[in-house]
Amino acid sequence: MTKTDNKALFRDTGAEEGPRAPRESRLREFWRLLRRNRLAFSGLAIFVFFFFVAFSGLVLTSGTRPVFDPAIVRLQEKLRPPLSEPNLANLLPKEIPTLGVYLFGTDDLGRDVFARMLQGAWVSLTVGFVAVGIAVLIGIGMGGISGYFGRNPVRVDHILLAFIVSLGGGLLIGGAFFAGGVLLLIGSTYILFSLWRKKWSGKQSAQKLLRLLHKDTISIDTLIMRIVDIMLCFPVFFLILTVVALLPASMYNIMIVIGLTSWMGTTRFVRAELLSLREQDFVTAAKALGVSDWRIIFRHMIPNAMAPVLVSATIGIASAILIEAGLSFLGFGVPPPHATWGNILSDGKRFIFDAPWLTFIPGFAILIVVLAFNLFGEGLRDILNPKLRERY
Amino acid sequence: MIVRRILIGAPMVLIIFLLQSYLWVPTYEQQTRGNPERLTEYITASIGDASILNPILSADSASNDIESKVFEGLIDRDKELRFRGRLAKSWKIYEEAFFYINEKASIPHLGKATAPEVVKLLKRARGGYVPVGAHVKTSLDNIREIAIVPAREFLVTRQEKVMGKAAEKTAVRIRVMAPDRIKLILKNVDQDLFKSLSTILGSDYFHSFPAQDYLSGDEGGPDGSRGKVDYAQEVLPATEHNPVIIFYLRPHVKFHDGHLFEARDVKFTYEAIMDPKNLSPRIADYEPVKEVEVVDPLTVRIFYKRLYSPALGTWGIGILPEHLLNSEALKKEAMRIGNDPERFSMRQSSFNRHPIGCGPFVFQEWKSDQYIALARFDDYWEGPPQYKRFMYRIIPDLLTQEMEFYAGTVDSYDVQPHQVQRLKNDPAYQNFSGLTFGYTYIGYNMRRAPFNDPRVRRALGMAIDVHKIIQYVLYGQGERITGPFVKQTDYYNHLITPLPYDPEGALKLLAEAGWRRNKEGWLEKDGKRFQFTLITNSGNDLRKAVLTIAQDSWKQIGVDVRTDVVEWAVFVQERVDKADFDALILGWNMGIEPDLYQIWHSSQTHPYQLNFVGFKDPLADDLIIKIRQEYDHRRQVAYCRQLHELIAREQPYTFLYASKWTAVLDKRIVIRETDAAGNIIYRKITPTKTGNYTFYFNKWIKLSEAPVFSAKD
Amino acid sequence: MLSFIGRSIIQKIITLFFVMVISFLIIHLAPGEPSQVDPLNPKFTPEMVERFRKAFHLDEPLHVQFVYFYRDLFTGKTISWKDNEPVLKKIGERFLNSLPLFIVATILIWTLAFPIGVRSAIVRGGAYDRLATFFSYLLYSIPGFFFAYILILLIVNAFHVPVIGMKTFGLTDVSLLRTGMDRVWHLVLPSVLEATVGIAVLSRYVRSQMLEVEGQDYVRTARAKGLPPEQVHYKHALRNALLPFVTMFGLMLPGLIGGSVIIESIFSWPGIGRMAYEAILSRDYPIILSINFISAVLVLIGTFISDILYMVVDPRIRL
Repeated sequence: MTKTDNKALFRDTGAEEGPRAPRESRLREFWRLLRRNRLAFSGLAIFVFFFFVAFSGLVLTSGTRPVFDPAIVRLQEKLRPPLSEPNLANLLPKEIPTLGVYLFGTDDLGRDVFARMLQGAWVSLTVGFVAVGIAVLIGIGMGGISGYFGRNPVRVDHILLAFIVSLGGGLLIGGAFFAGGVLLLIGSTYILFSLWRKKWSGKQSAQKLLRLLHKDTISIDTLIMRIVDIMLCFPVFFLILTVVALLPASMYNIMIVIGLTSWMGTTRFVRAELLSLREQDFVTAAKALGVSDWRIIFRHMIPNAMAPVLVSATIGIASAILIEAGLSFLGFGVPPPHATWGNILSDGKRFIFDAPWLTFIPGFAILIVVLAFNLFGEGLRDILNPKLRERY
Repeated sequence: MIVRRILIGAPMVLIIFLLQSYLWVPTYEQQTRGNPERLTEYITASIGDASILNPILSADSASNDIESKVFEGLIDRDKELRFRGRLAKSWKIYEEAFFYINEKASIPHLGKATAPEVVKLLKRARGGYVPVGAHVKTSLDNIREIAIVPAREFLVTRQEKVMGKAAEKTAVRIRVMAPDRIKLILKNVDQDLFKSLSTILGSDYFHSFPAQDYLSGDEGGPDGSRGKVDYAQEVLPATEHNPVIIFYLRPHVKFHDGHLFEARDVKFTYEAIMDPKNLSPRIADYEPVKEVEVVDPLTVRIFYKRLYSPALGTWGIGILPEHLLNSEALKKEAMRIGNDPERFSMRQSSFNRHPIGCGPFVFQEWKSDQYIALARFDDYWEGPPQYKRFMYRIIPDLLTQEMEFYAGTVDSYDVQPHQVQRLKNDPAYQNFSGLTFGYTYIGYNMRRAPFNDPRVRRALGMAIDVHKIIQYVLYGQGERITGPFVKQTDYYNHLITPLPYDPEGALKLLAEAGWRRNKEGWLEKDGKRFQFTLITNSGNDLRKAVLTIAQDSWKQIGVDVRTDVVEWAVFVQERVDKADFDALILGWNMGIEPDLYQIWHSSQTHPYQLNFVGFKDPLADDLIIKIRQEYDHRRQVAYCRQLHELIAREQPYTFLYASKWTAVLDKRIVIRETDAAGNIIYRKITPTKTGNYTFYFNKWIKLSEAPVFSAKD
Repeated sequence: MLSFIGRSIIQKIITLFFVMVISFLIIHLAPGEPSQVDPLNPKFTPEMVERFRKAFHLDEPLHVQFVYFYRDLFTGKTISWKDNEPVLKKIGERFLNSLPLFIVATILIWTLAFPIGVRSAIVRGGAYDRLATFFSYLLYSIPGFFFAYILILLIVNAFHVPVIGMKTFGLTDVSLLRTGMDRVWHLVLPSVLEATVGIAVLSRYVRSQMLEVEGQDYVRTARAKGLPPEQVHYKHALRNALLPFVTMFGLMLPGLIGGSVIIESIFSWPGIGRMAYEAILSRDYPIILSINFISAVLVLIGTFISDILYMVVDPRIRL
């Protein structure tokens, strides 16, 4: 069977799935419903606006000669209130703010808060997106495996293999190169060995040892759900805090840690969706036509399970921004020179009596953006879930 | 519908109940009006909690704050930063010096001499019958007594490595037949003594002392002859300085439990520090001590192994009550709580949470992360403090500390410079500030190019406008410094002018060193851009600000600086200890003692040592050792100033500023004293010359109305 | 039923074991060492650092440390590295401090979320509903410490009363009632702040449950019968909508030990969250690991209880 055939098949199955209207109209329907939900619509508007600000922030504040330079220190101009005019007498030409006024005031080092907020918008957005991206990828992967291959058992040799390889890797990292190397070698030999066996002697071996090794233990589904359970046992913020506090501070660590600790919800959604989808006719049909498992999962099932993932991702971005702000408050946020709204806020709070704008501008900015993401996510949930829709 | 009513009623009732509690809470004014007891209580706020209330075990500032109230040392510093007696009434420092008779050396005009002959020669020299220079004369005049320690024989056991087996050691017994030894008792400590004596006894008299000839034992020691000579000199050092401190203790001083304070408590405190089981962080300070001898219950004599001038200052440590912590008491405690008495040490004792000392305040209660309560000690030897209670509150957030100050539930807190700026004009408060004993600097890793060039270091320092940092970031609460000594002491050399802020000059210096601007404006040398990473630790806003400012200032002269803020533990272990950095911003909190050995001596540049910038200078090394061994203040000051000048010239650090501590108090807090006639007089609180406003803390009291002082106060 | 309980317990113990291993690895593999082993203290010599490491078993291989630690934890002998106090005693003390906060916050959440959510569902789509939706999202979206500072500023500036800590300091010789009320007042702000997110989430959940139930046939039947709407909403619908909330009692359990670090730091409330945070800062491994262990146990017990409750209240479910 060739690739073109597959595509044709997909189109067929797509049509078979339901005698619904074509795609364009789905999008239009989505748009119509969104317009009706005013909260969600305004959420989307702010969402889009925020994107725009973040992108323009990236463009305008980076490079060697940025339009708005968030790094210029003007100590003599510290803590100027918003909309105040710069004191031109004691500034060098390149230190004069681009707009001619300090739109959002200056901070305790005389840096332009407007420029910093612009820069921070991009960084905050990146933190949110990358963290959620990691979470969604892991979630879809784990959920997909669990929902589709869930019934396949895990054999004893799989467990042993995983154990040997991870122990070997750990030893290698830990510095015991010889022992680690040997273990890794054993692991890879076994993988090659079993591949070879599968290829050349399909017959079941009668050897006792091999039978023991091939004994089934638990199903993949159980395994993954237990991993989810383990992860859920950790208090999330505490775990993030521990890891971030112990690791060297960097923006990437924060994104990765937030991502690695928030994939469990997605996994469960995807699994549940897949469990119900795999019983449906179009999957059975695809299987009968010999379409490969991965193709079925990624081309046919995941797109259908995306709705809840999209909703939880939107809300996840909001909470990632909040978590970053919380970490900043405790001094473990994204380290300078990157400005994020979280660390502008937590740096500014020291001056809440002297310069309230340093607290209120980023505070309300975070509030509005997070609120917009949440409202939009909520609206999305209502729109994408036909069951709920009927009720209105 | 009852369900509905409950649904609406329950939250209503709850909210009303919660809100009405507001009516019971006193406002700032009511707290003192309706509650006169509040005036006799001093509440202070701290960010962190104490960890362990035992002066020999703790190493954090919060524990230190409490210990300074509960415990008392033998001595402390007065308002001029001179030593003054506390538990010790007075003290005396003298020296016992020893040297072995070198039977083989030939003394000028005398030839080979025996011990009595040497003594006779020295006595004659002291009597002025031998012509000597002025220096030698002072040394000789300083000698009070000369005696002979007769020759003796003794056995030592030495752990020796076995050839080939690095890990194994065998005990080797060595017989030592020590020759006659001369003991000199000096009136004052004199580090030049032997230099002076060698003009009389011959320049080689001490150096050529053949210590190894007096050792015998298993011959053919595996270490080779070089090792043997070293070891012999360790067992039989040709010369030895043994400074001695005698403390005369104050009589009738009591611990809080009524037990009398005596000399054995001093000895016990020393032994507890040295006990390896206790893991005391103070051990390095007391390592030079040879022996602590209890002469009588009120006299204690401390012998030192070698010259170590910071020694006196170490006796400011709080004295522990021996009767509560000796091995018997600890054993009993271990038995009571069912622990293994063998492994139970002072670290585990409940004493550390219920300390008993002989300081002005008695420990009462400690609620972790909430407060530590102390009450005044009525039997305090200097008279009880005015305040009845001292509360140490733990409030981790600086902003809420300020809120509590406004609400009147703390009397003082870690006020920040910008808050002082605001509160300065408030008529209800008085404020103080003064220099701290610490300074902030940018250190360069001198092992790496281009920081190995002093011109580059100087240029980088000149590019930063420190004055502006002090004015705007510290709100004037700081002073420029030029070197590593505490600015308010004599050791600091005030003649050195700080680096000027001069970016043009900096560029010139860099050009001399070969760095020129390229097309893009970055400095370049041999096609390589001037680029490095500046790091500091997280959690310190001031350092973060300096980091940003330095980055910006260096960018102005074309240096491409990356910055990194690293969490403290990682900062120390991964970057500082392994000397894996280009430049860093840090601060040192100095003692008053001018001992700079650990930070500046060239022997301390290895990983895990404190000279992490890698400063090596033979002249500086020599001065550092001299300062360490000099007991005479005047001469010590002279050495320090030389060293200061040298370091300022080399610029291994860009010395930035010594910040000031700041404090704000309610104006109603004053000093209450009784004059000779028995009248109570009130004085305004003023910081001492050296910048300590709590110096008279024991006399402080809060009044219900702020008194009016005449202008001269 | 019994076999379910047995299976579930075994499963949970295995899960717990992995939690123990993972948390131990995270902490011990991270760079940095306890602050007691602070090599940048001029008074510390390398030998002393070595001795400290030995005293804390830091020089042993990891698996030995693991066994040592959990052996001590199960025999109740673990001591904090910071002050040599028994860890369990410290946690117990902090737990008692966090408890009133937790109780008041929980009561606030449950008493406020229900009326708001129920009413939202009844008048769904209306102005009230939209307002409630908006406000619950507002509460959910506001950064906790930002909100806390705003509230504190308002109250201290407007009323000049202390709000920080567990009680007003320096208050002596006053009646029991007064000290009691003083403590209640100090509870108000932090517990309101800890409850905000809970109120927002729970009221949304109540609303969606009510909507779900209101769409059911028996509610329609009741309405069709001509019963007064009050009775339909509050009797038929609400009762059935309450069902899933019973199981949430189990899930509340971990909250007992998970006080908010941020709120407790701001209000200098000596609770568990703050202790954990300070333990992280000073790398007091025994405290971090013990809190982690206890909270994992509570999570597992909580899910277990909620499973059982679910079976008890909903006869359709047979596990």
